[in-house]
Amino acid sequence: MHVHLHSPARLSRRTLLVGCLAVPLSAIHCTRRQPSEQRVADLSIESDGDFLAFRPDELTCPSGALVTLTFHHRGKYLSARHNWVLVRPGQLEVVDKSVEHNEGIIPVDDPRVIAWTPMCDKGGMVMTRFTAPAGGDYPFFCSTPGHGECMQGVLHVTV
Amino acid sequence: MKSRRQRLVILASAGLTLALATQASAQQLKAPDDIKMTLRLLVQVSNDFKRQITNKNFARVPHEFMEYTEAADAVRSAMKGESADLKAKVEPRLKAAVAAYQKVSDMSAKETDVDKLMAEHAKAVTAMNAVFNLFPAALRPDPNLPPPGRGGRRGGTAGA
Repeated sequence: MHVHLHSPARLSRRTLLVGCLAVPLSAIHCTRRQPSEQRVADLSIESDGDFLAFRPDELTCPSGALVTLTFHHRGKYLSARHNWVLVRPGQLEVVDKSVEHNEGIIPVDDPRVIAWTPMCDKGGMVMTRFTAPAGGDYPFFCSTPGHGECMQGVLHVTV
Repeated sequence: MKSRRQRLVILASAGLTLALATQASAQQLKAPDDIKMTLRLLVQVSNDFKRQITNKNFARVPHEFMEYTEAADAVRSAMKGESADLKAKVEPRLKAAVAAYQKVSDMSAKETDVDKLMAEHAKAVTAMNAVFNLFPAALRPDPNLPPPGRGGRRGGTAGA
């Protein structure tokens, strides 16, 4: 009896909620699909604890996909900050060097850089969104001065 | 001929005893994995010192020193459950290592001669190795092992 009294109330609330959300959600859904059926890819990467390494150090996504990349700083002990920076092939060392004396901060308009996350403190998580470039292998690294030599990896973009 | 064989047998059994003793002492530790990991952190930060000095990025050296103290605290934290005897042996050497890296950091504020700084860094590495010597060989960081990152595997700076 008790259950019966509550069930309809719960149902009607749920119905109301679904009704309220249906219109805006369907609108969002339409706008996401409309342009050209752009594929989406969710990538996740983290630091190897406090060590200067990405885990995994190889990622894959299809060309043209809208990529959402999440970086998790898994450090526990060291206050070193990390980020994730994706650059054009052959540009890792030059970009790393160019930001070395600027605390590794990536300038907004650097054409050699495809995407990057903000710097992240230990235990934190940061995210970036970008459209995957043409097929090929793209290097990524952490731009904190001195980290790029070890902390790097490759994004394989498939055609 | 016979004596040579006897010598070989003695040598082999001595080696086996030593290996077993090392393994046994590593097993006696409460948190060998944590200790091993935190000792590796000391090496990593020491390598960072070296990179900043050779890249003449002297402004970053004090930051590396701060990380070195954090790595030393990580060692202390990993050793919390270990015997008072071992902790009493480790602490003064750890303090000496931290002091040696502080000297490098302090020097970097004025000194721009890479060779001089690297010479001081080498002394700090010796102080750090004195800490490692208190632990079983199985826990000591391998100075020939490249850093864990992909760049390290491709031939990044190895050793302390």
